[in-house]
Order: sequence, then C-alpha cells, then structure tokens
Amino acid sequence: MDKAISVKALTIAYGAATAISAVDLDIAKGKVTVLAGPNGCGKSTLLRAIRRLHQPKSGEIRLGDMPISGLKEKELARHIGLLAQSPSAPDDMSVEELVRLGRYPHQTMLQPWSAADADAIQAAMFGTGVSHLAERRLGSLSGGQLQRVWIAMVLAQETDIICLDEPVNHLDMAHQIDCLDLVGRLNREHGRTVVLVLHDLNLAARYADRLVFMKDGSMVADGAPVELMREALIEDVFGISCRVIEDPVHNRPLCIPIRNSSPRFGAAPAA
Amino acid sequence: MSIAARGLSPALARINRRAWMAVAIIALITVALALCGIGFGSTWIDPGRIVEILIGEGTRGERVVVLQLRAPRVAIAALAGGAMAVAGYLLQKVTRNELASPGVLGVIGGAGLGVVIFLALLSDESNSLVTSIVWQPVAAMIGASVAIAAVFLLSGQQASSAVRLLLFGIAVGAVAKAATLILMIVGPIYRTTQASRWLAGAVNEINWGEVQVVAIGLAIAMVGVVAVARRLPPTDLDEVSARGLGLNLPVFRILVFALASALTALAVAFAGGVGFIGLMAPHLARLIVGRPVLAGIAASFLLGAIMLIGADLIVRVLFAPTEVPAGTVTAVIGTPYFLYLVLRRGSTNG
Repeated sequence: MDKAISVKALTIAYGAATAISAVDLDIAKGKVTVLAGPNGCGKSTLLRAIRRLHQPKSGEIRLGDMPISGLKEKELARHIGLLAQSPSAPDDMSVEELVRLGRYPHQTMLQPWSAADADAIQAAMFGTGVSHLAERRLGSLSGGQLQRVWIAMVLAQETDIICLDEPVNHLDMAHQIDCLDLVGRLNREHGRTVVLVLHDLNLAARYADRLVFMKDGSMVADGAPVELMREALIEDVFGISCRVIEDPVHNRPLCIPIRNSSPRFGAAPAA
Repeated sequence: MSIAARGLSPALARINRRAWMAVAIIALITVALALCGIGFGSTWIDPGRIVEILIGEGTRGERVVVLQLRAPRVAIAALAGGAMAVAGYLLQKVTRNELASPGVLGVIGGAGLGVVIFLALLSDESNSLVTSIVWQPVAAMIGASVAIAAVFLLSGQQASSAVRLLLFGIAVGAVAKAATLILMIVGPIYRTTQASRWLAGAVNEINWGEVQVVAIGLAIAMVGVVAVARRLPPTDLDEVSARGLGLNLPVFRILVFALASALTALAVAFAGGVGFIGLMAPHLARLIVGRPVLAGIAASFLLGAIMLIGADLIVRVLFAPTEVPAGTVTAVIGTPYFLYLVLRRGSTNG
C-alpha cells in the first residue's frame, strides 16, 4: 500500500484530558478513508491533527516520508486541504471570492497571482457545479449550494489530500448524497486522497474504501467496510444492537439499528 | 492599483475599480475639508488663497497664520484620525468583530497612560520636556502594547473569543483612563493646560516638529499595513478554515495587534485619546467601498482624517475662542453609535 499519511503512536491532550491516545494509522494514497465512531471518540481531533491544527503530546505524523512538524504553514496547505466542521464566512462575500481564498497557500510575496491560480479557480467551480453562482453572495445561497462552494474552495487549493470534517452534517438527504457523490468523483477522477469524518455509519460504509472505527480516543478497528460492518463490532463501538444486511443497490453492508445497548444511557424505563 | 487588480475576474475587477473610484472621491472631500479647516479661524482665508500661501506666496502675517498656526493642527488631525481608523479596520478584520477598535480594546487608554507617565517622569521644574519629543510616540507604543498584552493575558485560553477580548479591553481601558486622571491631578505635567488632551483628545497647539514625528512613524507603519493587508483575506473565515489555508493565525493575530497598537500610539502620542474614530471610520469605509481590502484601508484612513478634521472644525466653530477638545465631538457621536451596535447585536445574536 502506498501511504499518503502515516500516524505513529499519536497522543493528543487538551490540558489534562486525553483526546486521542496512541493511535497508529496509515492512510492509503488515492483512497477514501472514513473515520467513524460515536460522539467524542476523537475522530475530528485526529483529522485536525493530521492537518497539524493540534500539537501532539507524543507521536508523529508523516506526510509521505516527511514529518509534518517540519513543514512550513503554506507548504502544508499545498499538500493537505481541510473543510472545517462548521466553516463560516461573511454573508456579503461572493462565491468567487471564497473560492479564490483556496489559492492563498500558492501565493507568495514575489508572485501574488499567476495564470495557474485563475485556472484552478475555474476548474474548482466547474467541478463542483457552482460556476453559475460565481457572483452570488454567500448569504443568498442554500445550504447545499454553500457546501459545494466550500468544497470548491478546498478543491482550488489543489492538494493531493483532502480532509473533510463531517461535510454532510447540516444537509438534507438529497444534498448529503449529492455532496458525497461529488467527493467520490474527486477521488476517482482526480486521484485525490480523501479522509472523511462521517457520523452516519451507512453513508460511511457506502463511500469508504477503508473504514476506521474509533472509540474513547483509541482506534478500535480498521479495514474494508465488509470486514468492519459486523454486528458484534458495531455494538461494541457504537453501543447499539443492530442487524447488518447487504444494501441491494450498492452491494455494501447496511446497518439497521435496533436499540441502544450502551449501559451509559441507563436501562430503558419500564413500559 | 494594477497589482491588486491582477488576476481578478471581470466581476471582481469591476468591484475593485468601483471601490477605488469611491476612494478617489473621498480623497477629494478630505482635501476640501482640510482647506476649510485651515481657512476657518479668527479671520477666514479663501481656499484658493491657502493654496497660494502653501506654495510660497502671501504676506508674512498670512504665512504665520496658515503655516505655523493652522496647517499643523489640520495635518495632525488628518494623520491621527487616519492612523486610528486603519488600526480599527485591522482589528475588526482580524477579530471578525465589528465592535473591535483601538478604544474598545483598551489600546487608546494604554497609549494615553504611557504618554502621561512619560511626561510626568521627564518634565523639569518649568514644565518643559527634558528629552526629545521623538520619544513620546515610543512611550505611547509601550503603553499601548502593555494594554493589549494585558487584554490578551486576561482573556487567556479564550483569546480567540472576540467577546472576551472586548470585555477585558473595556476594563483595561477604564483602568488606564483612571490612572491617567490620577497622574494628571497629582503629577507634574508638561503643558498642564492641555490636560484634557490625554483624556478626550485634541489637536490644538501642535507644531511641525510633532507633525513630522507622526508622519515619519506613520510612513513606516504603513509599509507594515500593506504587507499585512495581503494576508488579511483568510481572516474573514472561521479559525479552522483560515489555518487550513496556511495562515498561521495565532502568530498573525499578534502581528496585527502589534501593528494596530503602533498606529494607535502614533495618533495618541500628540493628539491624545480621541475615541470612536477607530470604530466608526472602518464601518463607513466598508459601507462605501465594500470588501476589497486595500481600498478599504485607504478609505478608512481618509474617513478617519475627515472625522477628526471635522470634529476639530466643529469645536472651533461652536466654542471659539475657548479650546474644547475635538475628542468630545467624536465621543458624543460615537458613544450612541457604539450602544446602537451592541443593542443590535444583542437582538440578533442573543
């Protein structure tokens, strides 16, 4: 396996609280890796750590062969793009202006603007289907359109690796599928390595080449969706008893939750 | 601005062009108001005549009135008002908060206190300064830096939360003003007749030497402003997104705060604690020129200049020959405006 990123014995703490401990993970080049797990399991922290937004307490993250700690800010931003969990921009900013920001890491004092920047912006807006919105203000867009524009910004960054932190959280079902199909296409047609944090286990199983389960700050399991989507493992990680069947359309495993089996929520009240 | 315009799509180039046209119009208004500011006084001098005097004509008496008495006053008003406005623009951008300004963040109070301590320590028996006035802005900068550092330290872990910064800024500013007041009452202050300057801000009794010090300092600071302006756009985004684009936000924020402190200090060093220009001028600038950053900075500077020249003109028209500090006008207009902003935010953000 060609590694895009390797995480070695990574521990991250917020003050005294350990957010993730001793995580080892290799992220395959050109694949879609999905980090999944219950709330507070550390999946978003891991994603942000990969983008060096958290200082590790111990351990190391490498980009190819280079430790990311040795890279300059803009250099890192030319390798890894990040779509934040709840990104925000001024309402009066135009779509084109936001997508242009994706070129920020490519601009230097000596070369503030190049033709490559203009091409990248056009390609990113075309690829996400927002070219016709270029002059619109962000405040006038629907949630689905806005998310496409944010993806266009990350795309304009032209990074080999794209990290997305719960990109479909606030979208309705149609736009969730639309958004993840778009991400899948970026992976297949442009060969981008994609790392996603997803809440919805079934969406994760549908779009992942490789699934990573996390629980209480540790990595629990790691493999292809068919290997990980087992009833006992899901019950252990997510605290739900469930049935797993095969999705008849995509031939991916599909989890049907039955009931909460986690003791931390207490026993169900007697009826 | 061919550099700024390079690589813009037709739509953005149009927006940028319109912004610079607005800046040009504001610049004309600034010049007209400055000529009025020089013309108005115990005797009115025509703008045309002022231009003649400025380029070397006029009687000896006219030359003294225009060049020695009135022009420095207007010049310092323009430079100080402009510097505070640019400081406000930078602070509002980098904190993503329209309430941020040198006054609200305690920087003006800190700079004023720095100057007053400097004057108290370095004045002799006859109330004259024993060292060069060049050190006066330096003292203001130290005061401003200490104030902003205190605000940062008090905000602690949540220094990125704009609301906490503002609350501690207001508190630090109030403490600095109180300390300034005490020093003025008990301390031996050089030119005590101008005590009000360090509390309210005023531009009377300014000489060319002082204008020169501010102008040179400002020219240096502006190089920093232009360098910072190129990196400002990602700060419009949330912190994670901005950092994801490769902007080292924690370091950049400190850089911008330092620059804003320096600009404020240059203004306060001789014009005193003129309030609210750093709040109002950037708002008006963004209303007129929109989002382009360099045009926004230029418009802020000019509008800040207009506001302080105008405020000084108002106190001169209304209260002459009594010298009322120009800062009272900006405070009378600025305070209700600030309250309006707070109330409006309260109604939308809970």
